[in-house]
Formats: sequence, C-alpha cells, structure tokens
Amino acid sequence: MRRRDFMRDVALGGLAFGAAGRAAFALQTAAKPPDLSWVEGESPEALTRSAVAALGGMKNFVGRGDVVCVKPNIGWDRTPELAACTNPEVVKALVEMCREAGAKEVIVTDHSTNQAARTFLRSGIQDAAKAAGARVLLPSAFRMKKMSLGGEWFKEWEVFLDVYEADKIINVPIAKHHSLSRVTLGMKNWLGAIGGARNQLHQRLDEAKIDLSRFFKPVLTVLDAYRILVRNGPQGGRPSDTELRKTMIAGRDYVAVDAAGATLFGIKPEELPFLKMAAERKLGRLDWEKLRIEKRKV
Amino acid sequence: MKKEKSRKYRILQALRILSQWAFFALFLYLFTRTRFTGSDVIGPVERFFHFDPLLALTATVAGRALFAAFAWAGATVLLTLVLGRVVCGWVCPLGGVHQFFSFLFKKARLHKPRDVSAGPLKWKYFILLFVLAGALLGLNLAGYLDPLSFLYRSFATAVFPALGHAATGLIKLLYALGVDGPAGTLGQFLETLTLNPVYLQGFFIGLLFLAAVGLNLLRERFWCRVLCPAGALLGLLSLGNVFKLKIDKTKCIDCKLCSLQCQTQAAPYPEEDWKRAECVYCFTCGAVCPTAAVGFPTRDVPRKEKRVSLDRRKILWTPIAALAALPFFRINPAGRRAASSLIRPPGALPEPAFLSRCVKCGECMKACPTGGLQPVLGEAGPEGLWTPRLVPRIGYCEYYCSLCSQVCPTGAIKELGVEEKLAVKIGTAWVDKNRCLPYALGKPCIVCEEHCPTSPKAIKLVDHPVLLPDGTVSVQRAPFVDTALCIGCGICENKCPVMDQPAIYVTSIGEHRSETNRLLLDL
Repeated sequence: MRRRDFMRDVALGGLAFGAAGRAAFALQTAAKPPDLSWVEGESPEALTRSAVAALGGMKNFVGRGDVVCVKPNIGWDRTPELAACTNPEVVKALVEMCREAGAKEVIVTDHSTNQAARTFLRSGIQDAAKAAGARVLLPSAFRMKKMSLGGEWFKEWEVFLDVYEADKIINVPIAKHHSLSRVTLGMKNWLGAIGGARNQLHQRLDEAKIDLSRFFKPVLTVLDAYRILVRNGPQGGRPSDTELRKTMIAGRDYVAVDAAGATLFGIKPEELPFLKMAAERKLGRLDWEKLRIEKRKV
Repeated sequence: MKKEKSRKYRILQALRILSQWAFFALFLYLFTRTRFTGSDVIGPVERFFHFDPLLALTATVAGRALFAAFAWAGATVLLTLVLGRVVCGWVCPLGGVHQFFSFLFKKARLHKPRDVSAGPLKWKYFILLFVLAGALLGLNLAGYLDPLSFLYRSFATAVFPALGHAATGLIKLLYALGVDGPAGTLGQFLETLTLNPVYLQGFFIGLLFLAAVGLNLLRERFWCRVLCPAGALLGLLSLGNVFKLKIDKTKCIDCKLCSLQCQTQAAPYPEEDWKRAECVYCFTCGAVCPTAAVGFPTRDVPRKEKRVSLDRRKILWTPIAALAALPFFRINPAGRRAASSLIRPPGALPEPAFLSRCVKCGECMKACPTGGLQPVLGEAGPEGLWTPRLVPRIGYCEYYCSLCSQVCPTGAIKELGVEEKLAVKIGTAWVDKNRCLPYALGKPCIVCEEHCPTSPKAIKLVDHPVLLPDGTVSVQRAPFVDTALCIGCGICENKCPVMDQPAIYVTSIGEHRSETNRLLLDL
C-alpha cells in the first residue's frame, strides 16, 4: 500500500468512526445529565445539594479514592452577611457530597488576601468545612512553587500546590462586583490558587484568568449567588452592598457558569472581554442559554 | 567533721529552678498567645508587665497619669518588702534566661566563677536613679533596660522571627526529602503561630540580646548584678527580708564556696558581708555548702548591715546628669513637627503623652497580624527608639483588628474595641501619579481600590486619559483618594504592584490623635 492510500483509508475510517460515535451520542442524550443547573431557593445548603444533584450528582465529578480540592473564595476578613467570601454552608455541603461520593480526602483552602487565620475564621468556612470532614489548610509560602502554566499569554508562575496536587478541583466562587472586571465569578477565583506578585496580574487580568482556568481545569464550578455583592467589590463592607438572590449556578463548563452568573448583575456575557476571549478559544460556551439547563426551585 | 550538703537547700534550689522554668513557660505561653487566636478580644496576655514596679513607677510618673492595671505591681512591692528580691530569683523570666545561660557556660567550662570586684554592682542603682529622674522630668527611659521590655522586644523582633525562618528551612528540607506528612503538619502549625518574619532592626535588637546573654561569660547573671534597673528598685525595697542569711560557724570550714558561687554577688561569706539587697534567694549558697553551714532563718538584723556602697556625691550627680541629658533628648525636630513616616498604631495617645508611656516592649508588634508594626529608629527622636510605627510596605493595619491597642501594657495605646477602632484615622494615603500605572503608563490596575476596606471605599476611580508616545490615548480607571474616608490603614501601599517605591503611600498627616498634624481645616 502506498503511503497516500494509507492516509486516505485512515481518514475515511476516522470519519466513519466519528459518525458512528455521533449516532451513539444521539441515543444517549436522553440519559445524559444537563450542562448547567440553575437553582433558586431558601437554604444555601439545599441549593448546593440540588444544583449538583441536577447535574447527575457528585459521582459524576468525583471518583472513589480521589483527593479533592474544594476551592472557595476565602479572601477577605469579612463575615458571611457581607458576601465577600463564599457562603460557608455551600462549602460544607460540597465537602459532604464529595465525601459521600467516596473521596479519600477533601481539602479546603485559598490563598487569601487578608491574614488567612482571620479570613478562614470570620468567613465561617474553616469551622463549616472542618465539621463536614475537610482538611482546611492555611496557605503558606513554602507551598507555592513556580511552574509552567502552558498558557497562551501566561507562561510561568508560582502555583499553590495544595490546590494543584489534588486529583479533582471544584471551584466554588461567590458572585461579586469588581471594578476592573466588572464582576468576579469563577475564573477570577483562580487568583487565590497562586502565589507570587499576583497584584501585577491586573495589568493583563483577562488573559491571566483564562490561562489559569485552563491550567487548573476544575471538574465542576458551583457559583454561590445566594447573597451577591453588588457594589464596593470585591470586599464590600456593609450589608447594604449586598443583594439576596438565593441562587446557585453549577456546571462543568466554567465559561458558561460565569456567563450565566454575569446576568445576575444585569450584564450580558458578550460585554465581558474575558468571557468572549475564553469562548473564542473554545474553552466553553458564551451562549449559555443554548445549553441544556435544568432549572429548579427548592 | 562530717561533710554533708544540706538536703533542705538542695530541695529549695530545685523548687526555685522549677519556678523559674514555670514562669518562663508562662511568659512564652502568653507571648505566643499574643496574636489573633479567633477572637477580637485577646485577654490579658500582657499581664507580666503589670507586676513590674519599675514600669508602673515610670509610666505613672512620666505619664502623669494613673493606669489601673499597674495596681498589680503592688503585689511585687509587698512581696519584696517582706521577703526581699525573690521575684528576681524565682519569677523574672529574663533572670531565668540569664541564670540558665550562666549554668550552661559553667557546665561548658566557658566561665569559671572567681572572686571579682563588687564595684560594678552599684551601676544598676545609678541607672535606676537616672531613669527615675528622667521620669520626674516626663521622659520615660525605662524601656531600654527594663528586663521584661528587653526580653519581650528581643523575642518579638529577633528571636522568634529567627526561629520562624529556621522552621521554614526545616519544612522546606522535609518537603525536599519527600516527608510530606510531617512537613505539612509542621507547616500548618507554623502558620497558626503567625510569626511575623521581618523586623526593621531585628538583627540589631537580636545582637543586643546575644550580647546580654554573652555577658554571663564575664559574671554569672551579669545583667541582674550590674545593669537591671528593676532589680535595683527591688533591691531598694528589700527592707524587711524575713529570712536572713546565717552561717553556722561551728560547721563552716571557710571554703568560701558560697560567695564564689553566689549568683548575684551578695557575698554570703563572711555572714557580716551579706548584702540582703543583692540576694535573690536562689539558695545556691545553701545548696553548694559542703557542710550544710549556710541557712536562712528568721532573725534580727545586725545593726550595721552591708549594702552596695553608693557614693553620696554620685547619687547627687546622677539626677543632675539626667537633668542635663533631657535637653539633649529634645534637640531633634520630632517634637515640633510629626515625621511623615511616623504612623502610630490606632489608639496611640498624642505624641508627647505616647512617648511618656511607651516602654518599647514590642507587645503591639507581636500582636500585629500583618507584621506592619515595626520598631522606630530615628523618626520619633531618641526617646522614641523602638517605639512602634506602621510600615505599610511590610504590613498594613488589618481593618477589623484592634489587638495592638488591647495588649499595650502601659496605655500608651488606648484600648479600643473593633467598632471604635474603625473610626480612628492614623494617616492618609497619597497617589504618586508619576509611578501609578494608570496615571503614568496608561495601563489598567485598580489594585489599591480593590483592597480599600472602608465602605464606601476611600479610593475612588476616575477615568484618566494618557497620551501615549504613538499618539494614541489610553483611558484607564485611576485612583483618587477621598481623604475624609481614608483611615490610613496602608493596605493600598502594601498591595501596590509597583514593588519598590509604591505608587500609593500613607503618611501620618490627618491622624486623629494630633491637633497639629492636620490636613484639611475642619474647625
């Protein structure tokens, strides 16, 4: 057989295989869980459980024996009613679900902005996560290691090993106002999983967020929009800076989750450059409304 | 004659050593608890200082104010009046440190006790007189050589930061060796302790501490014999001394071992030479005596009692020297105009009152969760050496924290609850437009605004156009400080990504505690 013929045969075979695969896929669609869940209700814990259950349950994301890192936003020395950090009940529910799904160990950590001993405590996350059986790790300088990020713009940076070394990473951001990105959602949350002079990243924040999201590859993003911060972000300071929205958005596609989250602030996803760029790089869907969405009320 | 050591005094000596360890452990425990441990209220971790009559006296006299917590010092005074300097021998943690190193140096044969002149013993009394005369004039000089201030300052700014670096090195080594489990546990423990890693002058203060320890090579407990003004004060208060040295002359073999081994040169042999104001009741003499001749029964004082001889003229000259020194302390401009970098912790009294109370102990620096409170060098004049100031490039003032004000042992920093503290302005932030990324380079940033903790934020953003060399105009959101909202916490300066000389920085102007260091006229 000549080389060219071989190539053609392989290509044809590939096409045939692809077609068969697509057919099989079509048959499965009915059973396949939705791409995105949007749940509204009263209790943050019930919202979280329902949002993950709507996606087919935690077993779809976490396997038996996995070391899982649940990465909330624990950046600020603020209490839950100020909506600067992820709601502790959301973190608690996720840790419990990971353990129920058979995770060997669940790590909860964040490279906070204010003193970690304070933020972990005042946010309520330390106590909630520990009660649920997680290992809560304070960030330390010797757990930051410079490594290749393989990003398009962002090549190399100090990475927080306690996040990076986990088998599965679950991103649990809180939806907040931010004066540079307009909103801070899931993709911005990765700035809490790195070390180094992070504040310099604001010069190219959009690219940094995209490359970091690609690098950390969360298996699941759960956007806490129970109480969101609508002004004086990203730390607020007064209850009047927040709005009670009682919403939880979850999905595997982190671009779609952020796109959906942006609408909570009355922002169209295509207005946000980082989302447009991420969609252009095929990291996820900007047109989140076209995905299969499971809406629930609990 | 039967040679047998006294069992009683060997037991008393062991009890004394136990007591010294116990108080040192308590000191260390309170030291490590001087951090955020989960509550906004820290509790009386600074209590040791309140038992110090020297600090009580100087803070009260120099500060011209009563501070209730110093009532505890009355206990020390009473104890000393009745029993003599037992606090030096059994309680003082710095005394314990010196005695421990004296013991080590003797064991290692680095130091051999010998008969030395008693002359230098009087220095500490002159130091005390100098400090007290200064206090009468409103100058608080106690902090330099007060044993508790000296020890705490050295531990807070030198010894423990160094230990922290050593522990970090060990943890890195463990990770490198692949022993991740213990490395992780140790690392989390270290993070929980929150030891601040850097201190201006930490190296210098550490050297002074090493020197003080090294002096034990010359004489055992050199510090306590020669330098300590608190020990001198307790010496002067040693009037009653219920238990007095007595040598049983029928047993004594005149070996002079008791005098040679005496920790503080109180000269137990011969009995008539014993100086009760120098004795710290360590009972070394009783324990080393080969014939159990030394004892401390209760008995009458011989009429002519030995004391460290203080030349009357020198006694007179010391306060005069202090009087003459005062103007020299005041030559510098610090009293006239506040230094821009002298950002005092929230709750600090107005500068003159602050200086008259602060004993440079470093409690506030230890409590500061970000390590931003640093020892001052020259910014506050010679009186202000090692007093605290906020250095935002090193650490900022944590918004919901008032720990420094709670741990100040002398009230130089007024105790504030968190709610009160939020309303205290300690300085004002300024933007250096020549270095700020949006202003100078037309690049996006907003980091300072993002971190500003007040709500509404003291840092506003304004659209600012910059003409770039290629002729295009870059419009970026640029910081503008609302001085009425700014509390001077310095987190903006701390987080500014312009790494060397920040593009936003805090100066002391507008601080609430000062009537003169005013910015905007608001009468």
